[in-house]
Amino acid sequence: MFKLFSYLVSHGVMTQRSLFPDLAEGVRGMPKVTDEACQSGCTACADVCPTDAINVFKFDEKGGITLDLGACINCGLCVDVCPTKTIVNNPTTRVAVKDRAALILTNIPKDKPEAQAAISKITIPKASFGSKDLTKPFKWFNRSVQARVVSTGCSACDMEIGASGNPVFDLERFGVTIVASPRFADALVVTGPVPKGMHAALTSCYQAMSSPRVVVALGTCAISGGVHKNGYAEANGVDHLLPVDVYIPGCPPHPWMIIHGMNVAMGKEPPARE
Amino acid sequence: MKPEHSEMSQQDMAKQLRERLNKTSDERLGLLTSIDGSQLALLMLNPAKGTCELIESPVENNTYKAYTSNFAQFHWFERALFDMFGIVAEGHPRFQHLLLHEQYDKDFFPLRKVPFPEGFVSPIERVYKFLEVKGEGVYELPLGPIHAGVIEPGHFRFSCFGETIVNLEIRLGFLHRGVEKRLTEVPWQKAHFIAESVATDTACANALAHAEAIESIAQVEVPERAKFLRSIALEIERLAVHIIDVGGMGTDLGILGIAQNMSRLRGNALRMGDLLSGSRFLRAFVIPGGVRNVEERRLGEIKAGCQQLRKDLQPLIKMFLENQMAIERMLGVGVISMSLANEFGMVGVGARAAGIDYDVRKHFACGKFPEYAPPPVVEKGGDVFARERVRIGEIWSSLDTIEKLIDNIPHGDNQIKMPRELPKMAWGVGIVEAFRGELIHMIGTDMDGNIRRYAIKDPSFENWTAISIGIRNELIADFPPVNKSFALSYGGNDL
Repeated sequence: MFKLFSYLVSHGVMTQRSLFPDLAEGVRGMPKVTDEACQSGCTACADVCPTDAINVFKFDEKGGITLDLGACINCGLCVDVCPTKTIVNNPTTRVAVKDRAALILTNIPKDKPEAQAAISKITIPKASFGSKDLTKPFKWFNRSVQARVVSTGCSACDMEIGASGNPVFDLERFGVTIVASPRFADALVVTGPVPKGMHAALTSCYQAMSSPRVVVALGTCAISGGVHKNGYAEANGVDHLLPVDVYIPGCPPHPWMIIHGMNVAMGKEPPARE
Repeated sequence: MKPEHSEMSQQDMAKQLRERLNKTSDERLGLLTSIDGSQLALLMLNPAKGTCELIESPVENNTYKAYTSNFAQFHWFERALFDMFGIVAEGHPRFQHLLLHEQYDKDFFPLRKVPFPEGFVSPIERVYKFLEVKGEGVYELPLGPIHAGVIEPGHFRFSCFGETIVNLEIRLGFLHRGVEKRLTEVPWQKAHFIAESVATDTACANALAHAEAIESIAQVEVPERAKFLRSIALEIERLAVHIIDVGGMGTDLGILGIAQNMSRLRGNALRMGDLLSGSRFLRAFVIPGGVRNVEERRLGEIKAGCQQLRKDLQPLIKMFLENQMAIERMLGVGVISMSLANEFGMVGVGARAAGIDYDVRKHFACGKFPEYAPPPVVEKGGDVFARERVRIGEIWSSLDTIEKLIDNIPHGDNQIKMPRELPKMAWGVGIVEAFRGELIHMIGTDMDGNIRRYAIKDPSFENWTAISIGIRNELIADFPPVNKSFALSYGGNDL
């Protein structure tokens, strides 16, 4: 024990001091859409996208795109192929939003009818179970939140939640505690695409929580089903079952992105976009 | 690699299996599945020669005589076969659904393409019946699908007598996402993202097995530099997960100082993944035809990272291995004997801890292996402590291998262009030693060169049964260390 103690003391405090630092150079974050107009007739990004997150349409003689971060698995292929630098890598770790529509990026003004049409193509399903508990959400948890994590996916997001609790990121200093039972949880954090086998378990977990409660969809699978959507296992994300309050895109999100998302759920940080 | 392909009747196949799967044989079972529901497809591996063979055998009247009665390791394969194709294994001792639960219709078999014979009805219900242990004082303890920790879902049903576990039945399938079907629906050029998402903690190994299989179909030889980089990526993944698994054992035994530091050092290993591929989990790095581009200076940084990591890990692991409390919790607990491990076809860390000298890196070609394969870490005892010693041994050997590969890496191209179309009616197999053990991707193409069958066998598929066996007659409190010592995947198993 004394050896361990001296090891710990000799290594000092490991926790990062800067909050929400940008990702290091060369690391893939989520993509970002700049204002650059597309080349006329170019569909390179939509062709390589593995999850069909990108829609290309005609706009102003040239072209415009919409990019749904809720379906993006940040493979980075679109960034590599884009000839006009319309899609670029975004090193920020502040990516969480409160509204599903805020995950849709476009290079044309959002009020144009073309953009509206493209946005309305991305349907946001109505939760078949429960309704949002908080009319003025995110007020009651701004000091601390107890989170219950339900994993329904491939475990990468779970490992990153584990990593965000380690001494480097230290999720708990923000007032977030991971708890073992839904009975004492304020936030339900769901990872994975929620396939059919988990529908019953997830809804009963939600029912076991007392109100008020927030639901956080963590990772691209939880938001839209990612690569698994529209299969026979009906793995289409949390939206179909529960009312989601915060979306954290990423495949898997970086620990700082997870911490940002939890802070958005608590109302301590503004979302990336309204 | 390209499998040899043969076709034979059910009787011949049963006879062959008796000869080829007995104790004196060099061969081992790869996987058992079907292609469209009208036949069995059996993949046999020959580690001594580094080859594999695919045996097809037509099924008459949708039933065949279960192989489980003679070879225990078939028991989940045959249940999964029924789930996916509706082919009935007659005489299977516990014939139940494995992956598809009550939520699915009784006659829903997602991968079957041929019609059922007239008048066929499913012989079993979707509702799962757990094995009941009867007797005075015996009680059941249900656990899951949602667990207390941040881990994947699965159901464990303990039958206990006092504090002692009499029987454990594991029911998985909650995470069934239909990956095998999805892989046949998308164009093969985009399939590697789905192959990675089978289990993203094993993203690199899955991508590598996928790429090897696709390349063997297309008969493409990747550049030498890509082979080196693939092996480096695979070892970085193994290193990162082994570190956190040893740390996780620290959590379960209550040595939190070591656990937290291992969690931090895993971040250093993930940083190497970041340097190599821009993704902590090495996502989208290995692609059919090679790997994505890497800057030369990154390799130097990775090598420096290895040296630093070795220095940081040494005192921690020494403390872990010398901790008397930890040793007493691990020694002699959750024992899997070598004969049982052989019988259930165990792979990976669990098998090597039971004394079985089987490491895919040594036997089958993938990346720069077997040329640069480290000597397998084999321990005796088969208990939790032996598995941790194997894991720790592999942390060191992975660090050595990464350094050796970086020292010898040649210059050249990172990838080669893949052909536009795949050959028709061809088979390819990719076998990789993921950090959990032998991972197999088997791909077959149809008359148009599209993927018609994509079969995946995760290493966890064989090893889950080992937990059930290893925990018998142990205390309930010993379940977390035993479970952690295997560190199996739920998502990869459920697909």
